[in-house]
Amino acid sequence: MDPIIAIHDITKIYGNSKSPSLDDVSLSIFPGEKFGIFGPNGAGKTTLISILCNILKATSGTVTYSIDGKEMHLKEILPYVGFVPQDFAFYPELTAKQNLHYFGGAFGMDAKKVKSRTNELLQTLGLDTVANKKVSTFSGGMKRRINLAIGLIHEPKIVFLDEPTVGVDVQSKLVIIHLLEELNKKGITLIYTSHHLREAEDFCSRIALMDNGKIITVNTVEVLLKENNVANLEDLLINLTGKQLRD
Amino acid sequence: MKKLLVSLKKELLLLMSDKVGLLLMYLMPLLLVFIITLVQDSAFKLVNENRLELLIINDDKGAMGDSLINRLKLSGNFAIEIDDNLSINRLKKETLDRKKLMSIYIPVNFSKGIQSNSAKISNLMLTEFGVVDSTSQTKNKKALKNAQIDLFFDPILQENFRLSIMTGINTIISGLENQDMMEQLFRDMGYDKIPDHIRKELIAKQAPINPVPAVEGEGASVPNSSQHNVPAWSLFAMFFMVISLGGNIVKERLSGSFIRLQTIPSAFLLTIWSKIIVYLFVALTQLTIMFMIGIFVFPYIELPQLELPSSIWPVITISVLSAIAAISYSLLIGVYAKTQEQANGFGAISIIIFAAIGGIWVPSFVMPEYMQQLGKISPLHWCIEGYYTLFLKNGAWSELTGSLIFLTLFILGCQFFTYLKLRVQNYI
Repeated sequence: MDPIIAIHDITKIYGNSKSPSLDDVSLSIFPGEKFGIFGPNGAGKTTLISILCNILKATSGTVTYSIDGKEMHLKEILPYVGFVPQDFAFYPELTAKQNLHYFGGAFGMDAKKVKSRTNELLQTLGLDTVANKKVSTFSGGMKRRINLAIGLIHEPKIVFLDEPTVGVDVQSKLVIIHLLEELNKKGITLIYTSHHLREAEDFCSRIALMDNGKIITVNTVEVLLKENNVANLEDLLINLTGKQLRD
Repeated sequence: MKKLLVSLKKELLLLMSDKVGLLLMYLMPLLLVFIITLVQDSAFKLVNENRLELLIINDDKGAMGDSLINRLKLSGNFAIEIDDNLSINRLKKETLDRKKLMSIYIPVNFSKGIQSNSAKISNLMLTEFGVVDSTSQTKNKKALKNAQIDLFFDPILQENFRLSIMTGINTIISGLENQDMMEQLFRDMGYDKIPDHIRKELIAKQAPINPVPAVEGEGASVPNSSQHNVPAWSLFAMFFMVISLGGNIVKERLSGSFIRLQTIPSAFLLTIWSKIIVYLFVALTQLTIMFMIGIFVFPYIELPQLELPSSIWPVITISVLSAIAAISYSLLIGVYAKTQEQANGFGAISIIIFAAIGGIWVPSFVMPEYMQQLGKISPLHWCIEGYYTLFLKNGAWSELTGSLIFLTLFILGCQFFTYLKLRVQNYI
């Protein structure tokens, strides 16, 4: 099977920094995967996702995408990509509905489709009762859910999720994970980062561990745990990256 | 096109939700224009139309003190209260207690002083003409001090008003002195008094002053406070959009909305264009409302009516360029500021400085030369120059060249540096 994303030798050096944030990273992600990227703070996870979503430019290296057998470059892939950043990225002054209508329209969806998709997402994420309330009045969990909904409004084929469940209560987390599982069942590729390693262990089909801008290892969770003779992802991470603080 | 409409709708919704920004952009110019025009118009009327309340103590033993008071009354500029029971020592306090802006003390020797001077000058003139022998001049006449009155004023009275009023009173005293000198001259030549026909001629009006604005074309009206203030304060408020637009950009950047827009094809540029279009609409509606108020509302509150120039296209051109200059500056501030506080603080202060050096608050011509030169870096200077050329000087296209060139360069400069920053940050 051709990878949906093929990363070749990506290096990213910020400004005058001497050490690269990403150092010659190569990776393949396949269609329909729930792919997790993990590592300590500063490992390069967000930088890698930002490059894959057109937010940052790589200093060197290439990324190629392949949707339905058609090879695409970064600019071409954007309509098929959903991005759910770790920081909230919406207009707090607008209502949930207005936010979704705007971002749907910005992707070029027709008004009818935007409306039906908005209703569907608001209902799935339990936000239908607050659809006409300003997002600034939402709780943390509700904001996290609308942040996710915006990334999914245009029915993307690849979704990048940077800490999609950070700072939310258990109920919100369950709703979010359930929605992501449903999307994945429909064939949507999910690329996911999180500090909740227990959650990631259950959720991801394959993971990459990163440290100091490099990919340390890539495989399924089961294989990695077995190979390294550890009980869970947390132990694996400590084993492979050490205990020293990274802040 | 569909994407642009969606983006425009979003920008309008964001604008509508920014109540403080809307108040600053629409209410502030209204208040400024009303207040400043009323204040300037009142100041004008205080000196020229309203009667200034004046408290007078007349201790003069002769007739000149009374004549001075009569002439002050006849001038129509003063509402006079005479209180000869007061002493000069109490006049300062009474001036403030009775809420008079000014008071006058006419001293005991006021008439004598004027008459003494008249006699001296008359004698000198007659000697010069050879009518009187120099040896027959009154030699032993004791020289009196020049006639002098004391003018007390409330310290709140600004110097320019005080000087203007003093000039008016001086003119009246000069008239008195001239008349007395002529009478003395006639008396020295053996007349009892000035013959009536000569007196009439002497009293005949002064040569009138006809104010004519130095403008091109016929039928230009005399500029009034509305012609100055409506365009000036509308521009000031228009540039204050930096608070709303600049702050709005910083907020979007910090809230992560811009990052999400980077992942949507062409959405970022459309957002910038939508902002430009929405704020152009805001700026032009600001101007339209202000001009409408100047034309239709001002006459009802006894303020001079704003008169639009005969040719409307140059007004539209300068208005659109001024609006785009304000928008471009706001974009620049929004893109470079690191926080909303920085955008608001720097934006507001820079606009106040641009307005001050640009001639919005006080005309550029009253500033020192180096300030006038410095003022030329202010976009507001070129905007107001354009409006003054049209509203006050009845100017033509050719006279707008300076404003048009500078504003175009300013817009291009701001847009270039905005583009540069966005490019470096990979937004576009």
